[in-house]
Amino acid sequence: MKLYDYELSADCYKVRLLLGILELPYQRIELDAYPDREQHGAQFRAIDPLGRLPVLDDDGVRLCDWAAILVYLAGRYDPSGCWCPKADAARLGRLIEWLSFAQRLAATAGAARLHDTIFEPVDIDACRSGAHELLRLLDEHLWFAEQEDRPWLCGAEPTIADLACFPDVMLSEEGGISRLPYPAIRRWTDRIKRVANFSAMTGVFPL
Amino acid sequence: MRRWFPVAGADDVVPRHVVHTQLLGQELAVWRDDADELNAWENRCPHRGVRLSIGTNTGTELRCRYHGWRFASGSGRCSFIPSHPTQKPASTLRARAYPVCVRGGHVWVTLEPSRTEAEGTEALGTFAVGTAAVGTAEAGGTEAKVPPLPLPAADGLCLRSVYVRAPAARIAAELLRGYRLHEDIEVPVLQSDEFALEARPQGAAADTLRGAWLQLWLQPMSTTETTIHGTMHAAAETPIPAAERLRWLRHHNLELTILRDAAERGGR
Repeated sequence: MKLYDYELSADCYKVRLLLGILELPYQRIELDAYPDREQHGAQFRAIDPLGRLPVLDDDGVRLCDWAAILVYLAGRYDPSGCWCPKADAARLGRLIEWLSFAQRLAATAGAARLHDTIFEPVDIDACRSGAHELLRLLDEHLWFAEQEDRPWLCGAEPTIADLACFPDVMLSEEGGISRLPYPAIRRWTDRIKRVANFSAMTGVFPL
Repeated sequence: MRRWFPVAGADDVVPRHVVHTQLLGQELAVWRDDADELNAWENRCPHRGVRLSIGTNTGTELRCRYHGWRFASGSGRCSFIPSHPTQKPASTLRARAYPVCVRGGHVWVTLEPSRTEAEGTEALGTFAVGTAAVGTAEAGGTEAKVPPLPLPAADGLCLRSVYVRAPAARIAAELLRGYRLHEDIEVPVLQSDEFALEARPQGAAADTLRGAWLQLWLQPMSTTETTIHGTMHAAAETPIPAAERLRWLRHHNLELTILRDAAERGGR
């Protein structure tokens, strides 16, 4: 299994988290996304013409989208079925909702971070205020989830939805987005850090 | 001024966790040790000034993320410096610890004076408890008059705390327009003081709600940000059934978030 990867990418980190948790051995092929933009270079064009990262290549199955990769890895390599509960339609629906939510986080909190760290040209005020709107909803959801004793995004067990939302939340301060107003989010990030085989990345401290 | 403010729901300060909050512009690291003792410290390591809230709650100490200095629960005293493993840290090395207590399901903190400064005075915790109680507390050997304490009447249903990007005064003004205590029952809100309010139903509404009423407190995080904390009380003879707990929590959360949005817009 090969992972085309960039250490500082929140999207790549989502996949590394799951690979670590499922204890899957893989070959890491690092690209220099910044400043060299290697994922948009001629060599990478054959792998993904859109230049997306991460890309997973598992014995011929090639996926160029982090959500697709998480669903694939959980479906194929998690015998417990916990990380992507596809047998429970309602729960699966909610899980997909949270994957979309993670995309929104990437487009706001994630974009603000890229603005502040690698000068991405975005509307920084819109990104930050959009991120705070999402974090408010997330904090509220998690507080009530705790009250109901189902403290993860989709119930009593963590799923790939938690892993998908975690990186852009945890790295938000690099984009000037304080998490001080969100105490329930803070408890949830602690819970994720306690998952067996959790891995950190630059800017994310282990517990 | 010795004034107590709520900074978190007591159940939100979970074991082996550090709550990051702010009171009157002062960042706090609030944590519970394994013996259930609470700590509210200035969010700053006395060594290099790094935020203690990114450190680790070991159950007995808070360990700074930067150089691993450890600070003991209770006193805040530095107990271990990894780069000088055989030396006992000087007693002057300590995290600044503020007086902290739990009342009505919330964690309360006062910024003056710090627990560190008042160490040795056993009377530190002897403030009065009650809606309109006035008590005294000794601190640093001097007797300080305690202002009317907005502490809760008793334990009740602790609501979700709601953060608002608006000053406390604007939130109080919004609240004074009335509060929907239950579905379509709007009740008048009385302001006990700058940071404490009550919503009590009168007449027929009081009967419908079987004596339930609400206390709200404002945590001024800064001059522009506030967190609203609340407790819903029920009459002793009609406690809130466990099955209705969540419904009440959701109702108050909705009401407070509507109020939040209005306060942030600048008024309804």
